[in-house]
Amino acid sequence: MKKIITIIKISLKEYFVYRLNFFLWRVRAFINLLIIIFLWGASLKTFSIKEKQIFISYLIYGITISYLILGTRTTDIADDINSGRIINTLLKPISFFRFYFYKDLADKAINLFFAIIEAFLIVKIFNINLIFPKQILFGLIFLINGVFISFFINLLISFIGFWSRETWGPRFLFTIIVSFISGGFFPLNILPKTIYQILMLTPFPYLYYLPTRIFLGERFPFYIFFLSFFWLLGIFLLTKKVWITGNKSFSFWGK
Amino acid sequence: MKNFLHSLKIYFILSLYSFKTINDHRKAIFFFILGKFFRFLFFFLLLFFVFKKNPSVNQYNFNQVIIIYLTFNFIDTLAQTLYREVYRFRPLLISGDLDLILIKPYNTLIRVLLGGLDFTDLGFLIFYLFILIFFLIKYQFDFLNLFLYFLLLGNAMILATAFHILVLAFGILFTTVDHTIMIYRDLTSFGRFPFDIYRKTLRDFLTFVLPIGIMFSFPPKALFGLLSFENIIIAFLISLILFFLSLKIWGFSLKKYQSGGS
Repeated sequence: MKKIITIIKISLKEYFVYRLNFFLWRVRAFINLLIIIFLWGASLKTFSIKEKQIFISYLIYGITISYLILGTRTTDIADDINSGRIINTLLKPISFFRFYFYKDLADKAINLFFAIIEAFLIVKIFNINLIFPKQILFGLIFLINGVFISFFINLLISFIGFWSRETWGPRFLFTIIVSFISGGFFPLNILPKTIYQILMLTPFPYLYYLPTRIFLGERFPFYIFFLSFFWLLGIFLLTKKVWITGNKSFSFWGK
Repeated sequence: MKNFLHSLKIYFILSLYSFKTINDHRKAIFFFILGKFFRFLFFFLLLFFVFKKNPSVNQYNFNQVIIIYLTFNFIDTLAQTLYREVYRFRPLLISGDLDLILIKPYNTLIRVLLGGLDFTDLGFLIFYLFILIFFLIKYQFDFLNLFLYFLLLGNAMILATAFHILVLAFGILFTTVDHTIMIYRDLTSFGRFPFDIYRKTLRDFLTFVLPIGIMFSFPPKALFGLLSFENIIIAFLISLILFFLSLKIWGFSLKKYQSGGS
């Protein structure tokens, strides 16, 4: 437990070294939230009050939760592999996966904290009547699954660093795809039914679309629950496999 | 004239280096291009869902909304094609390598602002231009309005240049570049959608205080015949003032520059 607290504390302190950078990052996040709310706020005029409330609540909760799900420090790993600095992490008395997971927790906590404040500001400015979260226990299960699925996918992308120095390209592509097909701009159920059903077979809706919808009281068929665990297990096993293979092929010159 | 030709020659050499750099990162560039294409497609779909399915939204029809979106993409991509080097300014600054550029016998802005064409964005620029022409042909425009549209596109580029110079100047003064340029990008993304969806206070702020609206919403408005003559004059005045102000601030920042090198 002491190790975990130390890792989280150090990670948090890193943010306060570059306070201006962090502040500007949150300003950017706020601007993006503002644009989405304006865009949909203008286009929901034909919706009933209830539908509008569900839609806007989805956007507010979804975007806030996305910081918990997607917040990560694993982006540093590829550079560490290429520079050889990864050796420092491997020598630590804690497993590599756990070390980065706790670093991620710090990132998620600080981003979520500010995302909640920003969401609160938006709710106040626009006088939004949010739906109170429902099915909290069930939603939390999906939320935790989403956190782990996102963590393992992020690790997978970083592990490309074992074979290539060019990981920023795939990460950029991943960020773009996730922001849209995880439901970051709109709830996926407004898509045509076939596209929606195909998307539900991919891991992306399990990141924050499903937890958010469940918190808003929507019920999903039971197989969705299994699919969520299927993706979690599948991506975990794949990440482990890639990690082991990557370690075997890893070499670097000393300092 | 001689100076201009000299600068052009340097720019050509820098563009050649830029092409060689891209060629060295083919795999990453492939994913980068794919990502940009998906982003374009996804936003296109978003606009489809918002505006095609709700035709009553604002005063624009779907064709006009697409012209606004494509105009945004064109200006944004042209700025990135020309000024990509701004995104790489911070490492130069904190490593002290900027000293090596400052002592070179040409205008520093040629290297730190222009730096060389970004060929990945150049491809997208051509792609957007073709789609934009396709939608412009579909739209029944007046020739005077079309002329004003292109004139205001040029004006938008003056503003984009001013913003990028300001980012460089702030970089020298406060050593923060990455987030400043990304905030500029995020603010400009307000222009991706019709400005009329925003509240009047925000709209006025984004138009006359941070002239994002002048950059992105004025050209299509002129094309649709929705822009008054006064606003066109104001647009050019603001752009010129901001451009000269940015050059002044750049000059000031250079005087305050302290090398961080070893």
